[in-house]
Amino acid sequence: MANVDKINQLKQKREKVELGGGIEAIEKQHKAGKKTARERIDILLDKGSFVETDVFFETRSIDFGMQNKKVPGDGVVTGYGTIDGRPVYVAAQDFTVIGGTLGEAQAKKIVKVMDMSMKTGCPFISINDSGGARIHEGINALSGYGDIFLRNTLASGVIPQISLVMGPCAGGACYSPAITDFIFMVEEKGQMYITGNQVVKAVTGEDVSLEELGGASVHSSVSGVAHFKYPSEETCVKDLKRLLSFLPDNNISGAPSYSCNDDLNRFAEDMIDLIPDEPNKPYDMLDIITRVVDNGDFFEIHKYFAQNIIVGFARINGKTIGIVANQPKVMAGSLDINSSDKAARFVRFCDAFNIPLVTFTDVPAFLPGVGQEHNGIIRHGAKLLYAFAEATVPKINVIVRKAYGGAYIAMNSKTLGADLVYAWPTAEIAVMGADGAANIIFRKEIAQAEDPIATRQEKIEEYKEKFSNPYSASARGFVDDVINPAATRPMIANALEMLASKRENRPSKKHGNIPL
Amino acid sequence: MKKFLIKVNGSQYEVEVEEVGKGSLNIDDINQASSFSSAPVAPTARSAASAPKASAPAKSAEIPKDAQTITAPMPGVILGVNVAAGASVKKGDVLLILEAMKMENEIVSPSDGTIASVNVAKGASVNAGDVLVAIS
Repeated sequence: MANVDKINQLKQKREKVELGGGIEAIEKQHKAGKKTARERIDILLDKGSFVETDVFFETRSIDFGMQNKKVPGDGVVTGYGTIDGRPVYVAAQDFTVIGGTLGEAQAKKIVKVMDMSMKTGCPFISINDSGGARIHEGINALSGYGDIFLRNTLASGVIPQISLVMGPCAGGACYSPAITDFIFMVEEKGQMYITGNQVVKAVTGEDVSLEELGGASVHSSVSGVAHFKYPSEETCVKDLKRLLSFLPDNNISGAPSYSCNDDLNRFAEDMIDLIPDEPNKPYDMLDIITRVVDNGDFFEIHKYFAQNIIVGFARINGKTIGIVANQPKVMAGSLDINSSDKAARFVRFCDAFNIPLVTFTDVPAFLPGVGQEHNGIIRHGAKLLYAFAEATVPKINVIVRKAYGGAYIAMNSKTLGADLVYAWPTAEIAVMGADGAANIIFRKEIAQAEDPIATRQEKIEEYKEKFSNPYSASARGFVDDVINPAATRPMIANALEMLASKRENRPSKKHGNIPL
Repeated sequence: MKKFLIKVNGSQYEVEVEEVGKGSLNIDDINQASSFSSAPVAPTARSAASAPKASAPAKSAEIPKDAQTITAPMPGVILGVNVAAGASVKKGDVLLILEAMKMENEIVSPSDGTIASVNVAKGASVNAGDVLVAIS
């Protein structure tokens, strides 16, 4: 063959690889309302930036007729490119090739880009759309998953890892996204489950569809496995890019900062109007958050799960901050199992990637109940306490209204290591609510009084006057200052600037033993 | 307490009755009571009489199939019900006020729709997971 012909041969081989499982398979994918792996990479990465790795890698398995089934690329498209100019590594499973099933070669390709992303300190994005392990390849396929999980774990806290579930993600394959930092799911198209609905029906008799078992809605609101859900692949990718804009490339680089055109000294005059005069009436914590951050731009994470707590990213002075806030509108803003898990994981992500934490506290208690106790609120609540205490990033707390008992301690309190704690005049910082406290402290007086009901009311007012305010906590140094709510933004901006150079050590150890 | 001997389906039961002020016990109540208790030892007529009264309201508000149920997020007391069966609601409308954790918690509609059934009344005590309202 003349050399020139070799160029043509390369072209043909390339074109064949780019068709993945073939034109028919591509049409089938489109009919199912899904894009192909290469189309997804195309909308994800900046135009023309994609460089593919392991293009012609194919399986060496010959069992069960694999040598006739095999396709170069082995059902995954891997490589690197840029998103908004920043380098990232990507692995997109190709459902058109043997159902996107994972074989030895596919796993090796994915592991290669994961290793490269760790070496170069760039985020890793994985697009899941696969029927699971390629049964024909037996243990080789299964061990491929193990190789991937190992890399997910080693990379955890080194580079941001994000999973997009745009098709089936079945069985053990779910554990890769599960270890990553954020999971995005596409409604109706992406499903995650360890055991599919047919086996579930055979074993337990429960009869559900795949969507009911592990679709985007279920995982983003009930199980909390997914952080985001979208109606389409395009909207999914759009928000992925938005998320990345808040994140650093790796755990040393620091998040990108943007110019800030929102006055840092902006007073929010209507802030005090947001809190109802009656302490038993709810309000929307999001209204407070959006008034404090740059341009009201708050990127909420895990929006539909454990809605009694709010987590997400925003910016102050163009720099990323992580926000954790109780939501009084839902379950009175109390802390429970799910909200403790949700917040603790978010706090640890921020700490791993040097993102300062700003909390807004309005929490009456941990949710009481036999269900909570028997399901381990002790273990789960402890995660939140651990996460805040462990974090060495700048930690700022704003106590908006209620802050009672253990829940007050858990929410980024001074004694857990918060650098600055500000309270609004509406804050009620105490061991417990006045009603409960009066019952205990003045029990004898109330019992012996002529009119117990009136005496009890009197004692409650007395307790409220004395303790349900921010001043007794400030008197002991648990609150740095009581501030005008309108001044919250300038105070936080100032604090963040001062704390930017914060360095704090922890006792040296292999790693702690966070309650799980 | 008044004592009565009551024969039901050939079996005789000794029943104690206490008038609780909502009208005196009558034969209809006893008949209804016996159909509720499957055990041979009939419960005291007072509790048997009150059982149909208490469960009747819950039984009448059936939850239609395919309706989306809104359940109580935590135990508490219903302070107010803002909607009735048949009302049309929009996403975000406040359906009920649940008092819990010393707060007036607004239970809002998760979507647009029509109220298929209202399963609690003002003053009712609810547990976490109890159905409050169904929307179709």
